[in-house]
Amino acid sequence: MSISVLEALAHFKKPVLVLFAGLAGFVGGIWVNGTYFGDASPVQPIEFSHRIHAGENEIPCQYCHVYAARTPVAGVPSVEKCMGCHRSVAIDKPEIIKVAQYYADHEPIPWIKVYDVPDFVHFTHKRHIQAGLECRECHGPVATMDRITRQQPLRMPWCVDCHTKKEVVNGRDCWTCHK
Amino acid sequence: MSNKINRRDFLKFVGAGTIGAGAGFLAADVSKMSTEFLIPQVNLPEDYSPGIATWYNTVCTLCSAGCGISVRIREGRAKKIEGNRSHPVNQGKLCAVGQAGLNVLYNPDRIKTPLLRDGERGSGSFRPIGWDEALTTISGVLGTLKIQKKANNAYLLSGAVSGHLNDLFALFMDQLGSQNYLQHEFSYPASLYAANKACFDEDVLPYYDIRNSKYLLSFGADYLGAWLSPVHHGVSYGHLRQGTGQRGRCVQIEPRMSLSGANADEWIAARPGSEGMLALAMAHSIVEQGLYAGADAGDWQQALAAYSPASVAGPSGISAARIVRIATEFAAASPSLAIGGGAAGASTNGTANLVAVNVLNFIGGNIGEAGGILFNPASTFSIDAPRPRAGYQEMLKLFASLSGDDAEVLILHDTNPVFTLPSSANVAAAVMAVPYVIGMSSFMDETMALADIILPLDTYLEVWGDSIPDPGVGFAVASIAQPVVKRLYDTRSAGDIILALAHQIGGELPANMPWTSMENYIMEMWRAVYQGKSNDSSDHGFRKFWLSILESGVWGERSPQQARPRQAMSQAMLSAVHMTQPSFAGNESEYRFVMQPYLSLAFQDGRGANLPWLQELPDPLTSVVYNSWVELNPKTAAELAIHEGDVLLIESTVGSLEAPAFIYQAIRPDVVAMPIGQGHGNYGRYASGRGSNPIEILAPETDIDSGGLAWSATRVKISKTGRRVHVIKTDGTTRDLGRNILGPGHGHA
Repeated sequence: MSISVLEALAHFKKPVLVLFAGLAGFVGGIWVNGTYFGDASPVQPIEFSHRIHAGENEIPCQYCHVYAARTPVAGVPSVEKCMGCHRSVAIDKPEIIKVAQYYADHEPIPWIKVYDVPDFVHFTHKRHIQAGLECRECHGPVATMDRITRQQPLRMPWCVDCHTKKEVVNGRDCWTCHK
Repeated sequence: MSNKINRRDFLKFVGAGTIGAGAGFLAADVSKMSTEFLIPQVNLPEDYSPGIATWYNTVCTLCSAGCGISVRIREGRAKKIEGNRSHPVNQGKLCAVGQAGLNVLYNPDRIKTPLLRDGERGSGSFRPIGWDEALTTISGVLGTLKIQKKANNAYLLSGAVSGHLNDLFALFMDQLGSQNYLQHEFSYPASLYAANKACFDEDVLPYYDIRNSKYLLSFGADYLGAWLSPVHHGVSYGHLRQGTGQRGRCVQIEPRMSLSGANADEWIAARPGSEGMLALAMAHSIVEQGLYAGADAGDWQQALAAYSPASVAGPSGISAARIVRIATEFAAASPSLAIGGGAAGASTNGTANLVAVNVLNFIGGNIGEAGGILFNPASTFSIDAPRPRAGYQEMLKLFASLSGDDAEVLILHDTNPVFTLPSSANVAAAVMAVPYVIGMSSFMDETMALADIILPLDTYLEVWGDSIPDPGVGFAVASIAQPVVKRLYDTRSAGDIILALAHQIGGELPANMPWTSMENYIMEMWRAVYQGKSNDSSDHGFRKFWLSILESGVWGERSPQQARPRQAMSQAMLSAVHMTQPSFAGNESEYRFVMQPYLSLAFQDGRGANLPWLQELPDPLTSVVYNSWVELNPKTAAELAIHEGDVLLIESTVGSLEAPAFIYQAIRPDVVAMPIGQGHGNYGRYASGRGSNPIEILAPETDIDSGGLAWSATRVKISKTGRRVHVIKTDGTTRDLGRNILGPGHGHA
């Protein structure tokens, strides 16, 4: 004699369907949030386009992100740096007028972080660049993006996968990232 | 049960789906990282990279020791303070107060703009004003006095400042036409300076070479706690104990065991004020035993005749045999060193006590010897103005003139005499009697609250200055203070304020004080020093010198010890030695206990009480934290049926206070002790309304020779108020409860 779960559940068909409806809704909710309300591509205070700067004008990444090769953080350019060019370039565009206003007010531009790891992770750009990684290996085709969209989940499995694949020395040691 | 889906079931599906979707949406939302911002600099600073720490050297001025510090700076913010390894005073070490220096910089109670009084004097009601208005007002007041030739009615009372800021204050007052510039600090050891002046004719303190000593005999000086230069002493103590193969011995003579007492091999609880007699009795014993080699042994025998161990045993409470044993050990050890200070110097016979300690060193052959007393060279930075540090008598004189009819203006700089002097001195009334009071401070406190106008000062991490440690380290040392961070608020340094006032007052002041800023002034003064020492007068050479000092944080110069003629010193000592019995305020039958206030390791004279890290620091001996307490011997407590936490009323002849009892084994039964530092009424959110201030009830007794406050000469009576509080401490019991932890003979304290 065989025992079938389906047979046992037959008496509870409706409650099970209700449960499934709930679960489906749950998954749907997560998907909707991720797709339409995600934080992978936040709207920035200035509509800055990497496509124009890094793509069309071929400005090297480290021209603006000056600290990437020598400190933990890549560094976001100072407002003064923006003005270095935009004192004379495209000064009539509305977004550039906003930048000029920040500079005139001596206020920093409050950019929203796209790539952020929790405080307990000690990530450093310096080591990754010294190891020969290209910026796009993590940040994707920035030169084609108007607004930056996060390309990676920035979760631990993603870090460890890459460390494993590239056979990083001590790459799987806890203390390498969690100091 | 039918399998058809009816309306009711349909609604259930839809409901479950909707709730699920909502839950999923929320779950995804809360798992997101919170929005973080990337805030760029507006202008790129050149001297740092984000994420990379830079260390800048400067000087700690939270006490008078003058330790060099290295401050860790990231993104322009100070993150950590450590000792400067190349500084000879602290040699890379730093005390708890120095570590808490960040609390000074980032303190939420800092005064952030100039303040003008807008209520009754002393009501503590102020409104913010701009710097231009503040400086114009003050220079107007001072300028008018100068023109009317009444500038001598202006007074400047500063906290302890050394180096060129002191010179600048002196020069400014002199140019203004006033002779009234004083420095006040509770812990200023007037008796120690007086004793060394009498014995050695020295204006600066000698160097006590604890490091190289083999036998350290301390008369009341808590050298590891709060005496003179505790971090330096701590390093030296380590060397004395473990630096050579032969472990040095430490003996501590004091009625209440201090941190140094707890670290000593032997603690001798002599009667308060009898320390000098003990030192003379030991000297007597050494001479009697023929261990003194000088040709004038006969003179000394005569001079010390009155202080035989047998005759001193009674007044000191220490047996003659013990005195002789210590004296013999002291003479046999080579090199040995006797130091005196703390309560021994704060009795009515304080100077006499400390002269006696010098005599013991002389008889023991320790003067001018490594491991004994060495002399500091006269400072290369020939300070034209000696620091006008005031003892208690001079402070009383100052308050008398402030209360008089002539006083017009009082400038207060970084000092809080309302808190650090006994209430019987009536400091507040004297300050209130002055028509116009100008305050300069980083924090509101009991004294600043009485001012008419307050100028907010930079903290010590934001200023230019320099410092010459006193006591020195046996050779010439000075360091430059440089700002390690950009100032956080609209504050200025005292030097810059003085220079700005000089320029605004006009007359001959701008010509005689031509410097544009404190930085410029310090640099010019050091240029003069450099040019005096070097043949190279080029600007390039000085730049190199200047940058090297800024980088290392310290300048020093080895100089040979000046040999001193032994005969002359012996004569000076013979004429200096004298002894009087200590006297105490309050008769013994009614006021049974001698009160020993002591400087708290964390708060010093109370100035550290507004730093939260120090409030959290348990006292090293009692482990009590956050509050005041009164230490009583267990015998005393048993006799009066007092238990830990009983709130006691402590009454002296001039005042009273309340504090909870703490039963402390290491104190004489006829002495009660209390830490100084708590009991603030108006010193920011962390200090105010916490504990009580023992200075308040001290009787106005002074050391008869130096005029310093004899803060160890007050008798008190104690009674229970009936209330009881929980004494917050980190220790459990101090007894071993039969577990014999310390081995045989130590089990029962």
